[in-house]
Amino acid sequence: MTAEGLIAVGLLGIAAPAVPGIAVKTKSLLTGRRGPPMLQLYADLAKLVRKGRVYSRTTTLIFRAGPVVALASLIVAALFLPLDGREAPARFAGDIVAFAGLLALGRFALVLAGLDTGSSFEGLGASREVTIASFAEPTMFLCFIALVLAAGDLSLSGMLGTPLAAAWPHAGASLSLVGVSLFVLLLAENSRVPVDDPATHLELTMIHEVIVLDHGGPDLALILYGSALKLTLFGVLVVSVLVPRAGLSGPAALALLFAGLGVVAVAVGVVESVMARVRLVRVPQLLVGAAALALVATILQLR
Amino acid sequence: MTLVAVGLTLILLAGLAASREALFRILLGAGCLTGAVPALAVLAGETVRDVRVAAATPFGPWVFGLDALSAVFLLAILSVGAACAFYGLTYLAHERGRRPVGAAHLLLAVLVASLALAVVARAAVPFLIAWEGMAIAAYLLVVLEHERREVRRAGMIYVVATHVGTLLLFALFAIWGGTGGTGDLSFDALGAHAPFSAGRGGMILAVALIAFGLKAGAVPFHFWLPEAHAAAPAHVSALMSGVVIKMGIYGLLRTIVLFGAPPPWWGWVVLALGAASGVLGVVWALAQHDIKRLLAFHSVENIGIILLGIGAGALGLAYGHPVIAVLGFAGAVLHTLNHALFKSLLFLAAGSVIHATGTREIDHLGGLARRMPATTATFLIGSAAIVGLPPLNGFVSEWVVYQALLRGVSAGDAMQFAGLAVVVLAFIGALALACFVKVVGVLYLGTPRRTLATDARESAAGMIRPLVGLAVACVVIGLVPIAVVPPGLRVGSLVAGLPAATAGLPAAAAAGPATMFTIALALSLFVAWGLYVALGRRGQPAESATWGCGYPSPTPRMAYTASSFAAPLLGVFRSFAGVRTHRTAQAFATHAVDPVLDEVLVPAWRGARTAAAWLRHAQRGGGGLSRYLLWVGAAVVASLLYLLAVGRNP
Repeated sequence: MTAEGLIAVGLLGIAAPAVPGIAVKTKSLLTGRRGPPMLQLYADLAKLVRKGRVYSRTTTLIFRAGPVVALASLIVAALFLPLDGREAPARFAGDIVAFAGLLALGRFALVLAGLDTGSSFEGLGASREVTIASFAEPTMFLCFIALVLAAGDLSLSGMLGTPLAAAWPHAGASLSLVGVSLFVLLLAENSRVPVDDPATHLELTMIHEVIVLDHGGPDLALILYGSALKLTLFGVLVVSVLVPRAGLSGPAALALLFAGLGVVAVAVGVVESVMARVRLVRVPQLLVGAAALALVATILQLR
Repeated sequence: MTLVAVGLTLILLAGLAASREALFRILLGAGCLTGAVPALAVLAGETVRDVRVAAATPFGPWVFGLDALSAVFLLAILSVGAACAFYGLTYLAHERGRRPVGAAHLLLAVLVASLALAVVARAAVPFLIAWEGMAIAAYLLVVLEHERREVRRAGMIYVVATHVGTLLLFALFAIWGGTGGTGDLSFDALGAHAPFSAGRGGMILAVALIAFGLKAGAVPFHFWLPEAHAAAPAHVSALMSGVVIKMGIYGLLRTIVLFGAPPPWWGWVVLALGAASGVLGVVWALAQHDIKRLLAFHSVENIGIILLGIGAGALGLAYGHPVIAVLGFAGAVLHTLNHALFKSLLFLAAGSVIHATGTREIDHLGGLARRMPATTATFLIGSAAIVGLPPLNGFVSEWVVYQALLRGVSAGDAMQFAGLAVVVLAFIGALALACFVKVVGVLYLGTPRRTLATDARESAAGMIRPLVGLAVACVVIGLVPIAVVPPGLRVGSLVAGLPAATAGLPAAAAAGPATMFTIALALSLFVAWGLYVALGRRGQPAESATWGCGYPSPTPRMAYTASSFAAPLLGVFRSFAGVRTHRTAQAFATHAVDPVLDEVLVPAWRGARTAAAWLRHAQRGGGGLSRYLLWVGAAVVASLLYLLAVGRNP
């Protein structure tokens, strides 16, 4: 675990709230509005942290632990991503399973915290969240299979690091497909259009927002920061697959990564401006479509 | 082996002393500890000499031995057995006088002892004796509440299924040892028959797969499992789900040890059975409203994960990838041990809820977390473990199975296609998460839906202590993978028939960093919670009602139910899900049916009975004795004509 690697993770953590901000700004500009400032989320977080806390009489410790566990597991997951394009602060054979497990742990904690309120709105959101995740997780592993085939390594550092850069010349088509599939996954896992609309204000139509309906103050700050971080982590996955940076120096690779994250955020905003939310029953089909792309990417590499 | 024998004797003595609770505790605890010592020693790398009883026993000498494969199963049997037996003392205490409680404790001791005997037996005859002892003890325990009709039905289905399995085992040993001529059915002698011709080898493997698959509860042989597990008392369900069905896994692994590398088709079949059991098990679990049936279907799911490991291992052997073979078998064995721990934990915690509320119906409960905190906490740990979340034990074994399959992806031959089973494993994991979110959410969180949940009280310490013990085991294994992965790899290489040192090295090397990861994760969760509590100290939090989006008086009836929670997922699976919906003008209800039992076996059995009734009518109906004699005469004439036609003298 190198100091540079930890600094890179720290920078990523600082930059994370800007990513959804860029997406919102893009959407506002494309739809002819001014929109909130790009750095609005920082101000929101600062405000929420200073607020008092209100808890429902129904809730238990699980309600308070949810946001904490969710954020902590995402931070640990960030340690497995090779931000400089070569080596992550932590790696071991099969750490992709740990990465997926950490995302699942965060989801488990947050969804249970929602159910702890006993409200049917949270139940609705929880049910939808786990349904979508059931199709997102196999898709993610299909992407990983394609990456394992390309890079021949079972850790994220290997799959997204130097071996990936070496694989691009002969597996470029396949890796581009993986990138697209991961982008769809990013939209689904982070409750963006076309799976969920983060801007909606009707509880019945929401997924992620409705699970955290009862959280407020510092707890909500943890959740909002956590979802920004999750979006950023998926952005890192997409950028790392599409733009191998193993040949660059550390700072240059990091700079390119942040530029790439900006592009991903703009892309999310563009998708939100040009598409409507699909019906909930169609969401599994969307994800199966993404899985099919990843499967094609895998087949392209089978010999 | 002496220690194992002493341990088993103590366990049986404990059973006989069941009427004196303190003595039962001491003897059973001592017996389990004594038996566990040699098992741990063998897993640490020691070897134990076989015991041979060569006196005029039929079918060769009776041999007993303890190798790494037996040891890991023995460990699971003794630890889970002790927890269930202690739990049973308190669980059945209020039944004293109404039911033969002492006999139930004795039967549980017999069950544990015969399970242990089955894994140390090294010859067909003692193995079959132990196998039958296990089946019968389990049957008698399942029908403990025999005044209820569904319990008797479940018991009958179980006893038929298990005896079909036993018959197949007779056939297995007959085919396997048949042509040797010596009649020696000790496992060493059986192992010496290998290699076989393709036909006979195929027959052996197919029969073994069906016989042991029936015991393990793999789809489509799972039909007896949810019935029996739902009908039995909680601690018996825990022991059956945790250990008894694992004897099928033991049988499969032992078959591979004795048979040698199986042909590729067998590996593919096992992999396919694993995928089917895993996905269908969890989908059917999602459809259940009965907590014990739900947990039982999760056993089917986990058997699926274990079979995926065995399938990967068998294919690794068949295609010549030793590392994949060792990892696959090691993952299967580790998941067997881990599933024994967390599934028995979940069943016992569910038993605690049933004990407190008197119902198994999830949708009648709710809000138990405030009333039964210890049960809730341990059930939550078990849930996180079964879903495979780090840093708990389910993650460790699933990680090993994942590694076996992922290494298959880049293996470069037909093994690549086996690697695609990774997707199935991920799908199973995500669906299991959905299901356990549903259970924990509906059972423990929110508000009570009926008064029986409002009046619930935490169970007695005698039931909580085994829960805590099992939960601690789940956490410790999860935190220190390096303590279990190397022994697991040793077992894996024993099954694969490969030297332990070479094959599993890459994974053994990764157990160290994985341990660092799990400990670091646990620490960061701990630190994060500490920071949260410390920083949040200023200002007392206010209390209020749950936000109902403006609706001022929410009632428990509005809370999300288990059916509504699972509806979107089950909608995707439609025809596979085994859900019947009943829709009337006023009410809407769903109820779960088992696609194999209710839609194939029961109709088939009815058809067979109708055919038999018709045959009986044709044979004896109307004409009485004279018609019967006519049939006999006709049969004799037909045989004579046949012999005449083929030209031989009678």
